[in-house]
Amino acid sequence: MKLFALMTICTERQNGHPRASFTRRRKYVINQEVDVGVSMAAHCVLQSARTALRSVHSDLSSKGLFQRIPCFSQLSFLGISPCRGLRHVVEKKDGKTTVIEGVIESASERPQPPNPTASCPIYRWNLQNKYNYTDVLLLSQFIRSDGGMLPRRITGLCAQEHTKIAICVQMAHRAGLLPDHKPPLPEGHVPKPKANPPLNRYLTRYSVKSVKPIYKTGLKWCKKRMSVGHPALKNNVRYSPKPLYIKH
Amino acid sequence: MSSFSRSAQQWATFARSWFLIDARMQPPGKIASVCSVRLQGKHKPIYHPLSDIGDHVVVMNTRHIAFSGNKWEQKVYSSHTGYPGSFKQLTAAQMHKKDPTAIIKLAVYGMLPKNLTRRTMMQRLHLFPDDVLPEDILKNLTEELPQPREIPRKLNEYTQEERDAFPMLWTPPEDYRMK
Repeated sequence: MKLFALMTICTERQNGHPRASFTRRRKYVINQEVDVGVSMAAHCVLQSARTALRSVHSDLSSKGLFQRIPCFSQLSFLGISPCRGLRHVVEKKDGKTTVIEGVIESASERPQPPNPTASCPIYRWNLQNKYNYTDVLLLSQFIRSDGGMLPRRITGLCAQEHTKIAICVQMAHRAGLLPDHKPPLPEGHVPKPKANPPLNRYLTRYSVKSVKPIYKTGLKWCKKRMSVGHPALKNNVRYSPKPLYIKH
Repeated sequence: MSSFSRSAQQWATFARSWFLIDARMQPPGKIASVCSVRLQGKHKPIYHPLSDIGDHVVVMNTRHIAFSGNKWEQKVYSSHTGYPGSFKQLTAAQMHKKDPTAIIKLAVYGMLPKNLTRRTMMQRLHLFPDDVLPEDILKNLTEELPQPREIPRKLNEYTQEERDAFPMLWTPPEDYRMK
């Protein structure tokens, strides 16, 4: 009996890290000849996913012995998230059998933060009011590969610092300081040649498309000012006697 | 200098120098203020408004200036020829597309003293949209001025050693897959 099953696959609840205990429900339309119950069909799909994974891993490992394989790119198209960390591939040959193993990379020796008892990573390293949109090495630790921010429950940032970092990341993107963190274009898509070359900018608060020209600036006492930077960063450390100039 | 002869000292004091500024990734207002100081001659101890001791300033790469904030979209340049219906308003982006040197030219014009010497000072300002300069100007250049704004480095301009030297602020949980 053929069944076109609409199934819900629940990912396992991970008991390791307290913050990452989420369940994701994905729905798939799978055309399969199934005459048994839903659980069997789910098991079949998981099996096929695992074999697909193994084949992909073996293809990659044949290129070299030690490689870091981030799991996101392979698993995203399957939609299944076993939530694995970074591993490096170890290939062992015992005569006719080759064992390809993914060894979990343990956390290497890291420098200790000066304030280890704080809850937020910025406060742990005493960077509270000291970073700006130009500190790309710091900002790149909190962004995804396509430029978006990582969730607060994962990074452990407090609310205020998370918003400040998000603002700085936005300004860095608009200034063109993060050229490799663009969202991926669909395959085969050739970007159109742009009519205007991109204009250089920095400390942009608002998005380029949303801003309207100020046709009437007004008199001196009620002038419509052009805003530069962001007021969230007004408490940043200043090494010059001049105050922060936000309304130009 | 005490070792100079009188004629050599006279030449050194009153000769007109040619300065070069690269405006790449610089705010046009800061470039214009540096230019106006040099064009008036205010950087010389022998300054007098009537003396006409300003120097020449050559600005290159005016096409690649960088405005702070959203000024490309918000700043509006207005002009009126006096005839009815000729009130034109252009945003900075439109003005820059039409003429890449216009923004700095207008900025310097507004910063110079509002008298008859302004036009002669503007004649001594030379603007070039790219870094291609004509030979006769290249031969005249004496000094390059430092850029007012420090250009921030992009992420791909950092070497791998610098990136490794920067510590990881937070450890990702073992079972989180996104990155």
